[in-house]
Amino acid sequence: MAVSQTGTLDRAGHTGRSAFRFKDPTLPVWLGAALFLVFLMLFPLGAIFRASLWDDAGLTFNKYLEVFTNEQFLKAIWNTLIISIWVGVIAVIIGALLAWLVTRTDLPWKKPIRALVMASFVTPPFLGAFAWTLLAGPNAGALNKLYRFVTGSEEALFNIFTMPGLIFVMALYSFPYVFSMIANVCELISSDLEDAAEILGANKWRIAWTVTFPLAMPALIGGFILAFLHSLSLFGAPAILGLPAGLHTITTQIWALFQYPPRLDMAAAFSVPLLLATMVLIAAQKKILGRRGFSTVGGKGGQKRLIRLGWRRFPVLVIVFGILSLSIFLPYWILLKAALSKAWAMPLTWDNFTLNNLSFAFFQYDDTKLAIYNTFKLGILTATLGTLLATLIAYITNRNLFRGARYLTFFALAPLVIPGIVLAVGLFIAYTRPPLMLYGTVWILFVAYLTKEMPIGFSQAESTFKSIHPELEDASRVIGANRLTTLVDVTAPLARSGLIAAWSFIFIGVIRELSASILLFAPKSKVVSVVIFDLKEEGQVGVIAVLGILLLVVSFAVILTVQWFAGRDPVATRE
Amino acid sequence: MAIVSIRELSKKFTETAAVDDLDLEIGDGEFVSLLGPSGCGKTTTLRLLAGFLQPDGGEIRVGGEVISSPTMVVPPERRNMSMIFQSYAVWPHMTVAQNVAYGLKFKKLAKQEIDAKVNKLLGVVHLAELKDRYSAELSGGQQQRVALARALVVEPQILLMDEPLSNLDANLREEMRFEIRRLHEEFKITTVYVTHDQAEAMATSDRIAVLDHGRLIQAGSPAEIFNRPKTRFVAEFVGKANILNGRWDGDGQLLLSDGIKIRLAGGDLLERSSAVSVCLRPHNIALIADDAEARAMAERSYNVFPGTIGRSIYFGDAVDYTVDLASGASLRVIAPPSQRFSPGQTIYAAAHPDHCVVVRD
Repeated sequence: MAVSQTGTLDRAGHTGRSAFRFKDPTLPVWLGAALFLVFLMLFPLGAIFRASLWDDAGLTFNKYLEVFTNEQFLKAIWNTLIISIWVGVIAVIIGALLAWLVTRTDLPWKKPIRALVMASFVTPPFLGAFAWTLLAGPNAGALNKLYRFVTGSEEALFNIFTMPGLIFVMALYSFPYVFSMIANVCELISSDLEDAAEILGANKWRIAWTVTFPLAMPALIGGFILAFLHSLSLFGAPAILGLPAGLHTITTQIWALFQYPPRLDMAAAFSVPLLLATMVLIAAQKKILGRRGFSTVGGKGGQKRLIRLGWRRFPVLVIVFGILSLSIFLPYWILLKAALSKAWAMPLTWDNFTLNNLSFAFFQYDDTKLAIYNTFKLGILTATLGTLLATLIAYITNRNLFRGARYLTFFALAPLVIPGIVLAVGLFIAYTRPPLMLYGTVWILFVAYLTKEMPIGFSQAESTFKSIHPELEDASRVIGANRLTTLVDVTAPLARSGLIAAWSFIFIGVIRELSASILLFAPKSKVVSVVIFDLKEEGQVGVIAVLGILLLVVSFAVILTVQWFAGRDPVATRE
Repeated sequence: MAIVSIRELSKKFTETAAVDDLDLEIGDGEFVSLLGPSGCGKTTTLRLLAGFLQPDGGEIRVGGEVISSPTMVVPPERRNMSMIFQSYAVWPHMTVAQNVAYGLKFKKLAKQEIDAKVNKLLGVVHLAELKDRYSAELSGGQQQRVALARALVVEPQILLMDEPLSNLDANLREEMRFEIRRLHEEFKITTVYVTHDQAEAMATSDRIAVLDHGRLIQAGSPAEIFNRPKTRFVAEFVGKANILNGRWDGDGQLLLSDGIKIRLAGGDLLERSSAVSVCLRPHNIALIADDAEARAMAERSYNVFPGTIGRSIYFGDAVDYTVDLASGASLRVIAPPSQRFSPGQTIYAAAHPDHCVVVRD
């Protein structure tokens, strides 16, 4: 029989040292990752509370008092509330309608519709907002010119630089959140439940109203909260559309507090209510979605029969593509036109055609060249290290590697309740002073992105690990591999497509990030989104369009690559 | 000589004891099954042996060295053990050969040596032709063979098996039982085998340890466990059993509550007038229609009970009867199909005292 390996081992761990020898030698890696995560999350949040509560004289509530008695600030809060409520309502109406049509009716072209909703999701809202200034600006906006041309009127039909205009654009890029939520639920509602109603004599529209709709109600409320939160934390769209009209929201107000002379303490104090509101809403959403009754919708879902739209198919299709043209076709068209023309407002004829914007953006203008370089460098760096950290953390929580491991989930998901601009306030305060002077370098952006994208990377990695049977790892442990070797040899290859998806989600999130970048960039560390924001002031429409299209093309290319890879993954297809 | 020695082992999961004060010695080269219903602690015991879990009390020694105690656990990769899992756990991203070779990677062997060992083992489990396949291209039985080869190739000191056959269909399961026993005969690796299937435990093991609620109830050879169950739980879990309750009268006989007397072998240890139960295996009861023959059996000190046939179910290789005794109790009897009795027929049920085993409740 084989020689006993245990012969070389000490007897029972009588002393602390020999006990330690038998501890998992990979423990430092796990503990290190866990501590790093906790530090990453707590440091900026601590900075916000410190800056808002302390001054030279010690503990003070004066900053809160100042913020919440200032009429301008209160107005910004009020505007944010109104805007976010409307955005939530419109997003739920559009998102739920599309989701229901795509999942429960015999509407044709479902795949392209889903792809286009996905495209709306991927489009950065600030880019959409910018495109809409070209479409519906009161003077030169393409749609307004068309209106004047058709009617002979002198007036503008739309003015996008208004609160309704802002709400409209933000809703266009918030509805995909609701869509995916409702579509999931609709796919799980079994036709049995609807059949039961049909047997009782209800017609199909009545069934939709009395059975399907109430079953989807928690998802509708959850979707509303999601869209509400999304618009609460947006910076780009309100800055582009609201500021010219003198319309401030909480995020633009925080940004304004960073302009000269900066009032960091006030920005910090003003960030806290946004933070608390987000926390409360996320908690509420969890509660609503987790309620009993909603779970009865869960499960495999029985067979589904699709509702026949009949003659309504065509008008419904027109409405659907009408909505999608507002979020996709029109903005993309105007961006493409602006990118390729000398004067964007003129028709795109041969005389007006130019490639100057491209060569300017890619080769001549140092600012854009540097920004493109920075953006993709940060994208790749954050995605790679973010995936690594998310993988380690998700592994720790999933396999419960040490006591209290599950609390790491809380830290990994914490940025969900931190709006980007609030995070930036915290990071700015935290990293502009010793011991960690990161401000002025790209590293503060890296830290911001790493923090902000941790939830998406973590949830992706977590669900990937959940799908890998722990015995596959045990099998490797028991024949000689330690935990880390097992992770490298067995777990990581099995998790590969899930981790690649995590990488690409983080990458796409990073290259479009504006609301944190706008407070943290320095001249040498500008990124594309910030440059777009800057160039808008200079009216460089063509270059902005080129940069915007670059972001979109790269994002879509990454998504398609991941889908292609997932479809070919030997492990995924063999399973 | 015991190579594995489990002493006072305890493990709690959120207040309920999964393993409760367990003592078990396993000899070198012995094949021991941990048998019990789900939740009896057998898998927890196995995972404690493998080092995946840390005990809350007691210790596990291998060759005299403590490898698990509440203060110290040698990690699984340093225990020189192998384990086979319920889910096979064949890695889907590696070929059969890569799966089997993986454990040798940690042994610092030359490549030719690794190849030779892998090929030899693949031959032993009849998988040589499939060495370049991936697990998704294998049947359940073939995957289990890969798992076996992977576990054996590292020449473990101890082999652990966690319900390795429970995902296979019935025919294959029977075939693999013999295969596992054959491999044990060939390699003589000390093996701990977890199962809830008593037939599997019987077919594979030198010794069976029956567990319930985290406690060891009885350990012994398959024949001992089957023929001399110590408790009612063991009697009923391992095979079919008729349990009759009564009171001990102290002179080699059991007085049943309704006056029927049963002669026992080895009942001397019992106290007079103590309440006892008797286990009778349905296979060990003979059915006799003829009065004279029944009397002759009684004279040869058999226990003979008059009764009537209740129901009869024909299984081809046996017939399953219930016999309603005059007392109102009923016995289950499994008889060969050569003689058939019909419901309502009066009958004698006869059992040898050696087959009437006193069990604790």
